[in-house]
Amino acid sequence: MAQAGSVLTGRGILMLLLGGLMLVIICIASIWLGDRTTKYTGALQQAYNLRVGTGRLMNGLKDAETGQRGYLLTTDPGYLAPYKAALASLPTTLRDLRSAATHEVDQAMVAELSTVVDQKLAELAETIRLQEAGQTAQALDLVRTDAGKNVMDHARQIATNLVASADADVAVQVRTMHRNSLGVQTAAIAGSVLVLVLFGGFTWTIARYNRELQRASAAVEELNRGLEERVEQRTADLKQANDEIQRFAYIVSHDLRAPLVNIMGFTAELDAGLKSLQAFTDIVSAQLPQAVTPEVHHTAMADVPEALSFIRASTTKMDRLISAILKLSREGRRSLSIERVDMTSLLHTILDSVRHQIVDAGVDVRLEGQIPTLISDRVILEQIFSNLIDNAVKYLDPKRSGKITISGRVDTGYAVFLVVDNGRGIDPKDYERIFELFRRSGTQDRPGEGIGLAHVRTLVRRLGGDITVSSVLGQGTTFNVRLPRITKNQVET
Amino acid sequence: MNAKAEAVVIAMIEDDEGHARLIEKNLQRAGVTNELRHFSNGTEALKFLLEAGAEHAFALLILLDLNLPDMSGIDVLAKIKAHPDLKRAPVIVLTTTDDEREILRCYDLGCNVYITKPVNYESFSQAIRQLGLFLSVIAVPQV
Repeated sequence: MAQAGSVLTGRGILMLLLGGLMLVIICIASIWLGDRTTKYTGALQQAYNLRVGTGRLMNGLKDAETGQRGYLLTTDPGYLAPYKAALASLPTTLRDLRSAATHEVDQAMVAELSTVVDQKLAELAETIRLQEAGQTAQALDLVRTDAGKNVMDHARQIATNLVASADADVAVQVRTMHRNSLGVQTAAIAGSVLVLVLFGGFTWTIARYNRELQRASAAVEELNRGLEERVEQRTADLKQANDEIQRFAYIVSHDLRAPLVNIMGFTAELDAGLKSLQAFTDIVSAQLPQAVTPEVHHTAMADVPEALSFIRASTTKMDRLISAILKLSREGRRSLSIERVDMTSLLHTILDSVRHQIVDAGVDVRLEGQIPTLISDRVILEQIFSNLIDNAVKYLDPKRSGKITISGRVDTGYAVFLVVDNGRGIDPKDYERIFELFRRSGTQDRPGEGIGLAHVRTLVRRLGGDITVSSVLGQGTTFNVRLPRITKNQVET
Repeated sequence: MNAKAEAVVIAMIEDDEGHARLIEKNLQRAGVTNELRHFSNGTEALKFLLEAGAEHAFALLILLDLNLPDMSGIDVLAKIKAHPDLKRAPVIVLTTTDDEREILRCYDLGCNVYITKPVNYESFSQAIRQLGLFLSVIAVPQV
């Protein structure tokens, strides 16, 4: 689930980056277009200036010619006013035109035009000078040579070409600009669409991820609830099964006890009967020796007493075993009496109770670490640790001096106690076996019924804890007792 | 033993024939010569007890085992102690059960003495013989 999530967010981040990149590209394109537009606007201005300048020049030229014609016709110098005005403005107009011509072709044309203008102005000046000198006829003749007209036609031709060139330039510029703006526009639209798509995709991805997340969390919650229910169910089942076993053990041990009372009772009766039979045999064998055969004597004196002693020993043992089962089943059912238990003083008390054994065997016993205080059942704790300490003392290795260390520490809600000895050790295959009722491990050279550790485990579990063993054969054993720091008091029914 | 005590009939409700015989033997050894009625189930015992109680015929001492085949000895005890006349008859619960709650329940229901049958025969016969002693000193009310 987490992997799908990271893939999704990875894809989302990629989309976001792509969208950002697209936006940057669109911005750069817009700036570029703006720059280009400024350039084109300048170029257009130049073309416009060229066109307008050309027109102004031709107008000036025409004004000059008009003034000359009027003067020649009327000889009235008043008609020379347009000529003079044109003469004054033409150099400025020409200069403007020159600066407006950016292309080489245009510059060439402007230069040619400027020459033509000079020729025209020279022709006009000549005719006016002749007229002023009173040589009207010569002046008119000069006009009639068509030289002025030709020059003017030439000027007009050049002007037309210049205007056409300016127009063409404008057309090219406008077309290029249009194309550029169209390109940028297309790019902007495409980019925007892409950004929108990416954004949409991102949103969708996030939404889907969110949805999946929600679904997953709902599933987990559902699972959790199911799990809790299952755990509760299982716990209840286990508790019931455990209760049943306890009841079973209890009933069985009681029902086994009843016949045992009979066996032991009647064995005692037999024994009592045997006593009088033996007395009788003694009397008879003294008074009538032939009546008592060696067989009869042996039966009365040895066989029957032996059989009875075996029966008695077996029933005694059976009684102990049944009592052990009964005790175990009772420990499992006993209601707890919870109080604050100072484990250090509890352990000291236990050690004091086995002090003479410790001293006799020369055992070095130590309490180590921060031994936690528990909120638990004192009696049960005493039984657990006195059993473990008894065992540690009981199964020391006679080949080396005994050493027993009891340590404690806190592990979150639990207290962990280690009872470590350097005794004979336990074979790993017997780790489970030693906790079973009536089972023992190793050389059977110590008295015992195999009850202690079964009892200890039942008690530890009764407190909600657990006990494990680890050991190296011939080197020592460690019992690890894990108990809740606070045992809850469940009321047993 | 006083004459009054001798008139007391001992009703022994015990399903185990062996136990019954051992109790009987030990009572005899203790010198108890009272009439001993043995019932091996609760139904029979109750029938006898209720009739006896109704007739006010004789004083009773009831020896009750808790593990009976047809009903729990606790039920028998409850019925005896619920009976207007029978309730005064001393009841000695003599059983294998030594469960604390069971013992408390019996006392709560009005049992007079609770004795656990010890598996050890010496203790067993000792306990039964002391019953004889008990019988000789108690003032058994007339039912």
